[in-house]
Amino acid sequence: MIISKQVEFSASHICRSPQLSDAENERVYGAAANPLGHGHNYIVEVAIEGLPQPVTGMILDLKHLKTILEEKVLDVYDHRLLNREVAPFDRVVPTVENIAIDIWNRLEPHIDSTGRAKLYSVRVHETSELFVEYRGEQG
Amino acid sequence: MTVHLSRRYTFCASHRLHSPALTDAQNKEIYGKCNNPNGHGHNYEVELTLRGHVDPVTGRVVDLGKLDLLAEEQIMIPFRHRNLNEEVPAFRTEVPTTENLATEVVLRLRAAWPMMFSSEGPSLEKVRIWETERNICELGI
Repeated sequence: MIISKQVEFSASHICRSPQLSDAENERVYGAAANPLGHGHNYIVEVAIEGLPQPVTGMILDLKHLKTILEEKVLDVYDHRLLNREVAPFDRVVPTVENIAIDIWNRLEPHIDSTGRAKLYSVRVHETSELFVEYRGEQG
Repeated sequence: MTVHLSRRYTFCASHRLHSPALTDAQNKEIYGKCNNPNGHGHNYEVELTLRGHVDPVTGRVVDLGKLDLLAEEQIMIPFRHRNLNEEVPAFRTEVPTTENLATEVVLRLRAAWPMMFSSEGPSLEKVRIWETERNICELGI
């Protein structure tokens, strides 16, 4: 069984790779390559896989999930310039693909200390027209 | 690292659901209001889901400009503000239900895919089409 929870944050980013020329950056990222940056209201949907525990009837403690989403995602990402304020985006381009991978890496070790519930997927919506889903190295 | 990326496109089109293999009474019974001989229209939403590896340099699974160009050529230009029954060759014989529309979108994208993306590039994984907020058809590849 899969349970999903959604949170939102707002952040700015600049999509430019230092390994590409200015012209290549403009071609690859379009308007998102603006060196002054721009922003989005991101929606993060995390899905957890597990079975309801016989006593609680819950897959995992949702209060715990809320806390780790706040600590590992919102406190880190909300109202930040991702390129300057959130590692690893000083090194990798903060595309929505890389944001989904980074959020997975931040959350995955902390989902459930008993190991009964596991992170199944992280979906990040950058706009209403674009989202990515990451299911870990195996997905 | 494999990532699944989805992008949405919107177009408006008209259609009529009517099968020549059925009687008028059967058409009316099966398709209801959608069988209106004058046709009717929808605001369709098409969601394309791709799977691929994140390029270590660009941080992207797909060049969105190329994907948008492919969608423009294969979906938007042929379907946008068209009468699907009259103006899309496949729907001269097939009924333009959302199911058949999803199949047609997949056929068009698969045929044009190699011209836009290399074999190591992203692959098409799924197409979802909203005919209305309540009618959604999904076709996996």
